[in-house]
Amino acid sequence: MALPFQDAAANRRAFLGLAGLSALAVAGCTSTPKGGGTSTDVNKIDAILPKFKALEVGKPDILVPPPAASGYLSYPSSLVDAITDKPGKGGGVIKVTTLNWGTVPPGLGSNKYLGSINTELGVDMDFSINDGNTYADKLTAILGARDITDVLVAPSWNTNIPRFPDAVQTLFEDLTEYLKGDAVLKYPMLASFPKEAWQGSVWGGKLAAVPFVNDNPFAWALFYRKDILDAAGLGPAKTADELYQLGKKITKPDQGVWAFSDITDYVQMIFKVPGAKGGWRVEGGKIVNKIETPEFMAALEFLVKIFKEGLVHPDLVGSKGADASQLFNSGKIVVQQNGLGAWQSALREQLKINANYKIQPMKVFSHDGSASPLVWGSADPIFYTFIKKGLGKARTEEILACLNWCAAPFGTKEWELRQYGVEGVHFTRGTDNVPKTNDLYNNEYANQFTFLSGRNAAVTGGSDTPNYVQDYTTWTKDAVKYLEPNPWAGVRTEDPVKLSQLNTPTQDLIKDVVRGRRPLSDWPTIVADWKKNGGDEGRDFYAKALPN
Amino acid sequence: MTRPVWEEKPTVAGQAGKGTLLTLVTAAVIIPLWTVVVTSLSSRATIDKAGGLVFIPRGFDFSAYQSIFATDRVTRALWVSVMITAGGTLLSITLTTMAAYGLSRPGSLAHRPLLFLFLLTFLFGPGIIPSYLLVTGVGLKDNLLALILPTAVNAFNLVVLRAFFMNLPGELIDSARIDGASEWRILWQIVIPLSKAVIAVVALFYAVGYWNSFFNAILYLSDPSDHPIQLVLRSYILQGQAPPGVSLPGTNVPPPTLAIKMAVVVVTVIPALLVYPFVQKHFTKAVLTGAIKG
Repeated sequence: MALPFQDAAANRRAFLGLAGLSALAVAGCTSTPKGGGTSTDVNKIDAILPKFKALEVGKPDILVPPPAASGYLSYPSSLVDAITDKPGKGGGVIKVTTLNWGTVPPGLGSNKYLGSINTELGVDMDFSINDGNTYADKLTAILGARDITDVLVAPSWNTNIPRFPDAVQTLFEDLTEYLKGDAVLKYPMLASFPKEAWQGSVWGGKLAAVPFVNDNPFAWALFYRKDILDAAGLGPAKTADELYQLGKKITKPDQGVWAFSDITDYVQMIFKVPGAKGGWRVEGGKIVNKIETPEFMAALEFLVKIFKEGLVHPDLVGSKGADASQLFNSGKIVVQQNGLGAWQSALREQLKINANYKIQPMKVFSHDGSASPLVWGSADPIFYTFIKKGLGKARTEEILACLNWCAAPFGTKEWELRQYGVEGVHFTRGTDNVPKTNDLYNNEYANQFTFLSGRNAAVTGGSDTPNYVQDYTTWTKDAVKYLEPNPWAGVRTEDPVKLSQLNTPTQDLIKDVVRGRRPLSDWPTIVADWKKNGGDEGRDFYAKALPN
Repeated sequence: MTRPVWEEKPTVAGQAGKGTLLTLVTAAVIIPLWTVVVTSLSSRATIDKAGGLVFIPRGFDFSAYQSIFATDRVTRALWVSVMITAGGTLLSITLTTMAAYGLSRPGSLAHRPLLFLFLLTFLFGPGIIPSYLLVTGVGLKDNLLALILPTAVNAFNLVVLRAFFMNLPGELIDSARIDGASEWRILWQIVIPLSKAVIAVVALFYAVGYWNSFFNAILYLSDPSDHPIQLVLRSYILQGQAPPGVSLPGTNVPPPTLAIKMAVVVVTVIPALLVYPFVQKHFTKAVLTGAIKG
């Protein structure tokens, strides 16, 4: 979701990342020996994966093939009490380190949301909620200092911090014996997680974490203001040229309206640039990076054209931290590249002040309108939940039972309590049965239990977001067919240091070329430098990591 | 009789030029502040119409302020920041003044190796993990002192003060000593009164540093009731922002409006702005100190 200062924040993250790396280099000089990168082929460890057992709780109205979530058109009038036993066995307060993007709610003792769930669990979970944008630094510090709580949540993009695999071996409990094969049936909610999600939880041949299943595998969608295009008698594009023409027609700088946000990533998808593992693909037995492909060159040409002709909002061209979503909601831009996760809350909030507000993602298309577009995405888990080593069998089982509670699916009482809090305290029920949350909820909820393992594998709506479920599932049903196959699926990789250090400079160079600060003709030189400075090393690394 | 150029009546063009330049400079400072304040007082519809920050006010809407003060999150964080800033600045300035005085006196015990140790921190930072180990090792985790003690003495400020103290006439200190004054008394009654301006400026540096610090709070404080205002501000500004390309599960908590974000910015900036006028006279004086030295 693009929000204010996104670029600024991204830069800051990049900088902090570099600072963290150099700090580590100074501190120990031992991180990633030789800087060669590591990879683990988790396909070889099927034997330790938990057995899958589907849960029968409510049937979705609109079935969407996994890894995308299915849709439910109505909220159930009666909820299932899926877990009758209290998971807590009197083991004392469970300390949890987690993350969120937002204000930190009150803690244990002054938070009714926490209190009511802890009562249900039969044990107190006490959260330390950290800022998601600086979490890598916090993780580096607490893992390095071996100062961890009973439970720790790490997002997948932070598991590439230096020496993370070592930390997993040293600090976190091996969950294999607790969960492998039939053992997981003790935790029926966790048993309903797909095999692919558990594959991601394997470190060093051991099952090390409970995954947060990703039910939205799509990286980007291209949203447009349907209300504005309808009024202008225009429709969504089906080819790159149509997109360009659409941009020309709706850009009216004198009225303060521009066609596009920064759509650099989405245009690459349109031109079928590879996106797996940061942009690698296998081509006739050879490994090729996206920046070397003719598709990427074509995408660059297109981007240079739309930027040069002023079809992108000038505030976003300057990367001065302008808020693309705000501009989109205000109708100052008409087409925005964004994640699907932002859709529902944007619709809900905007309909309160603009009854005509309509947004839709464009049906996925390829540059020439051919029948097989390409969609970037990944079904890898979003978060991993680790349990501290050495807590003992009883305590580990107690924690796993709590995680099982957190993973209860849509249609259960547990899900509603986790997602909305207590009726009458945190929400009131509308005529459509859907909980309507209040200020207390906004003040107390911060994905505490949700990020622990509480997947959200259900698209649900309500009267405040009409047609959302239908529209969402229509798009995902179509897009999921074109998800790019990942040749390294199931292989956990940690990029060689030289390659990961190239990421930010390369992104900056793409920005420079797209914005016309460097000529397009420089691109072959840029690629040659990239190869020399670590690109070729990365290629060798990915060639070796490729499963047979 | 020709008069020197500075006594001549300024030309109209010259005055107009100066006026324009000063207006531009002032505008460059005022306009962003103005925009932040106006946006914080605007309704959602106004912000939506403007497509973001609002420059021309269209009515006043205090709902953003009502919203941020509806819970004690912001007021508590402000109080924490005020305590850290006041306590930290007092401690820092006391330690730095004493250390700088001791190191400025030639012949004081081990002053060269000690100075070297201070200067070493210019070149080498400890890094995140060693700092974390030290701070948690001495039991400062979840303690507000973790925001003060690790940054209590800044080598740059120490060098500035030491250089100033070294330029004080030695005779003055010698005569005080002849009159029987102890080192404490010399520091308290001779050196500090003569150095008020530079001490005020160094105190301002420290105060601004404490007021703006947030990173140590991220590392060491897990209880949200201990969070300083900058951390709370950050959480408001970045709310809902996930890493690019990652689609987080949707949440029912609405993201704060731009008005709320700007209202928190206003609340964060005001205390710092209030302090400046009181320190300003010292600030000018300290900048001028040394201006005519060769």
